Amino acid sequence: MSAGVGRPGRWRGHPAGASPRPVSGEAAAQLFHVSKSYLAGTYALRDVTLEFARGELVFLTGPSGAGKTSLLRLLFAAERPSEGQIVVLGRNVSRLSPRSVPALRRRIGVVFQDFKLLARRTVEENVALALDVVGTPRRAARARVFAILKQVGLQHRRYQSPLSLSGGEQQRVAIARALINEPEILLADEPTGNLDPDLTLEIMDLIAETATRGTTVVVATHDQSILQRFRKRTVRLEGGRIAEDRPAPGAGV
Amino acid sequence: MIRPLARVVYFARTALRGIAATPGTALVATGTIAVALVLVGAFGLLVINMQELLHRVGDAVQVTAFLEQGLGDAEREALRQRAAALEGVAQVHLVSEDEALIRFRNGVGRGFALDEALGSNPLPASLELTLVEQAQTAAALERVAQAVSALPGVVDIATGADWIEGYLRALALVRGLAIGLGVILALATTLIVSNTIRLAVLSRRDELSILTLVGASRAFVNTPFLIEGALQGAAGAAFAWLLLYALFRLVLPGFEFGLELVLGGLAPRFFDPVETAWLCGGGTALGLLGSAIAVASESRP
Repeated sequence: MSAGVGRPGRWRGHPAGASPRPVSGEAAAQLFHVSKSYLAGTYALRDVTLEFARGELVFLTGPSGAGKTSLLRLLFAAERPSEGQIVVLGRNVSRLSPRSVPALRRRIGVVFQDFKLLARRTVEENVALALDVVGTPRRAARARVFAILKQVGLQHRRYQSPLSLSGGEQQRVAIARALINEPEILLADEPTGNLDPDLTLEIMDLIAETATRGTTVVVATHDQSILQRFRKRTVRLEGGRIAEDRPAPGAGV
Repeated sequence: MIRPLARVVYFARTALRGIAATPGTALVATGTIAVALVLVGAFGLLVINMQELLHRVGDAVQVTAFLEQGLGDAEREALRQRAAALEGVAQVHLVSEDEALIRFRNGVGRGFALDEALGSNPLPASLELTLVEQAQTAAALERVAQAVSALPGVVDIATGADWIEGYLRALALVRGLAIGLGVILALATTLIVSNTIRLAVLSRRDELSILTLVGASRAFVNTPFLIEGALQGAAGAAFAWLLLYALFRLVLPGFEFGLELVLGGLAPRFFDPVETAWLCGGGTALGLLGSAIAVASESRP
């Protein structure tokens, strides 16, 4: 569900320089004045304050190098902020010990533009990796993999190598892997970047449907056709700063 | 909820899959461990058998005191009792001239009759002193020999002190060589195993990054590699045991003269179950150590 900017007692984000508004306790993730610098003096993100509500579908957009990927990497604790605080699912990522990172990641699903599937494993084994990590017995894992593959329409392809699948099918496998543990947050970094327009819509429908089941979904994309079609909250980044945080049309203002 | 059995199954499956994915490197690691253990195991066998011989000889370590001719039974018995009272002596057996002759005949062969050749029995009566276990050293043997030789009626003494001392020195040398060789080979083997496991880690880097992405802990990612190393070590040890056994059964009998020189009449023995377990444990530990070094260096940030 998408909540609107300016709703009483609720703060959503602000363009650089604007004053932050109060944050609700319902957030899946919150960033407070977060900056990320890889080289001294060069910022991938600068003073970003933002909140993602539970069950919300948010698009991160902006040109290449705007900081979309850096923001997603901070959310799944692949990196730590240089400045500021990030709270994801109630855990302060800035202070999270390396030992605690895996437990947080099990609550987050991640989908990439390049799918990140293992060519030497079958589709079923690729999806089951996420279940292996949480120690799901083999029989139960196979049943769950079948169910999620059925959901994405690929149950008949489960014994095949990902290399024998089309780009759209490979991304559906990657989405199945990201969703199989029923994550509270789904992060997608240019998930349709390698797909043609028809497949793009198919994949985005799949991702957007996840948000309707209560998962917070954050999609980084620069594809305007997606933004126009889905018309959800859109955060535009430029030069590492929030240039615009536009609520979904029709959301309370 | 994390289920331990499912994890164990996953780790075992992944480790075996890893070995199957890079059979060449797995073979190199296993072969290296096998060669190292064959060399160390061969020295180990030599040490074990030399110790065995020393142990058996130790049971028979004794001082023989030859008695004056013409001593009466009462004097001999008195001497026996005085010898038995000496420190370090377990028991004393009085060997009469007749018994000495019988032993000689049995030792040399029935066909040879010393008394008939010489006209009379030239062998003297003697006291055979067996020592308590703590006194079965060259120094203690020497002390007992001196004390016995001081007894009236004792004309000569025979001990195996020189032989035992020499044998102990040889045993210490072989043991030292085995330990030195073991340490050098263990280091070299660990290095080779760690490098082969490192290759396996690198070849599966994409898989490891995905596992990390879906929430695998470092222990979860590393455990299959540790199992892989341990399995290679155990397989190397099993090969080494088989090769040593084949050499022991097929090749060793060809070196009869050398065996006689080192072990006397003792029939050499192979590893018992406990020693076999040590060999296999050693191989497994080497594989485990090598893979632990590999994953520690590869997972360093």
